[in-house]
Amino acid sequence: MKRNNSIPLQPILIAVAVILLILLVSWIYRNMKSNSIEITADQEIDITPQQIQSIKDIGEWEFLEISDEEMVDTTRRGILSDDHLVRIYYGTMRLGINLKQVETGWIVPRGDTIEVTLPKVGLLDRDFIDEARTKSFYESGTWTAKDRESMMRRAYQRMLQRGLTPQNLQTAQQNGEAQVRQVLQGMGFKLIKIQYKD
Amino acid sequence: MIRHALYITLILLCCYGCSRQQEPMTETVVKSDAIPPLVTQIRQCSRIYTTEYKIHKIITHDDVIRLRGSFLAQDFNIRMPLGDRKIAIPMDATLKAYIDMSQFSERNVEKTDDGKIIITLPDPQVIMTSSKIDQKNIKEYVGLVRSHFTDAEMTNYERQGRAAIIESIPQLGIISTAQENAARVLVPLITQMGYREEDIYIQFRKEYGLKDIQSLINMDIEHEKK
Repeated sequence: MKRNNSIPLQPILIAVAVILLILLVSWIYRNMKSNSIEITADQEIDITPQQIQSIKDIGEWEFLEISDEEMVDTTRRGILSDDHLVRIYYGTMRLGINLKQVETGWIVPRGDTIEVTLPKVGLLDRDFIDEARTKSFYESGTWTAKDRESMMRRAYQRMLQRGLTPQNLQTAQQNGEAQVRQVLQGMGFKLIKIQYKD
Repeated sequence: MIRHALYITLILLCCYGCSRQQEPMTETVVKSDAIPPLVTQIRQCSRIYTTEYKIHKIITHDDVIRLRGSFLAQDFNIRMPLGDRKIAIPMDATLKAYIDMSQFSERNVEKTDDGKIIITLPDPQVIMTSSKIDQKNIKEYVGLVRSHFTDAEMTNYERQGRAAIIESIPQLGIISTAQENAARVLVPLITQMGYREEDIYIQFRKEYGLKDIQSLINMDIEHEKK
């Protein structure tokens, strides 16, 4: 009787198959851990050029800066519910004198003495709201450009009321006097007389 | 044999599936209110504004919904057919260049024996003093299945547009214009003090490179630096 000495193939094949399967499953498992899915919308703006509309030489001497933030809200009454919009506006009022508005002879030197008549301190630029910095605080419902413009006007008026006070104008005037004096002293004048135009 | 292999595969997959289900959900979302308190700040200063630039920009945003992710180590990014949203926001901004005179002293002034006066001015700086959104001319295009742009989204795009204008300041040449205009403002002032125009020299610290100009842009307050 002939004895069969060959190694049985079946267990070897099963072992190889199991090893391959383990490798396959571990590969799938490893990669499945990094699987992710999300629905996104890009929030970045497109790159667009900016256009210089005008270049102007100005001469504004600022003595006081008032930075203000105003929260403005608006409500629209509805049958079932009300709509609200709350925004925060930012602005900086600059008080000082406009050197383009001075009259001839506003500075009169007499030896080491100098007499200066400054124009009245006022708001240097009526466009002082930085609308692009506005923050939307709360919104429900749909709002139009007209609503936003109305809110902006209210913020503007409130900032004027808060910033353009007699006290701030007086502070600006006092600081203006000190600053002009400092510059003239730097120029070598010893006696300086400063007055504001009535 | 194939049957055995299939059984082992199924068992392993079941084990994997069970272990995935048992993972605890630990993610928490913490929302904070980042709105700063409403304040009024008053600051004394001495700045001579010499140059004003009016800038116009149209901020555009193309809002496309995308399905993003990775599957078996393969990244994918598919545009979803859910309809697009587009918005164009026109805005105007005012940039002003100024010279800070608060530290001006006799160290900035040199007088020669032949009656000349040489004034060395501090570096001009640039600030955005105002911006205006042209609300009436904002154009929106919204797909049928998409919602309108919210106020929060629009203000976010406007802030980005503002930041883009500030970033472009070094390319606008405002610093050199400010230097020229400083002389135009100060020379008449000094002539009133008794000096002849040809005896007045206004100079600045140095020639400015791009890096210098970036350091001269006044970011105003911390909100804009983010």
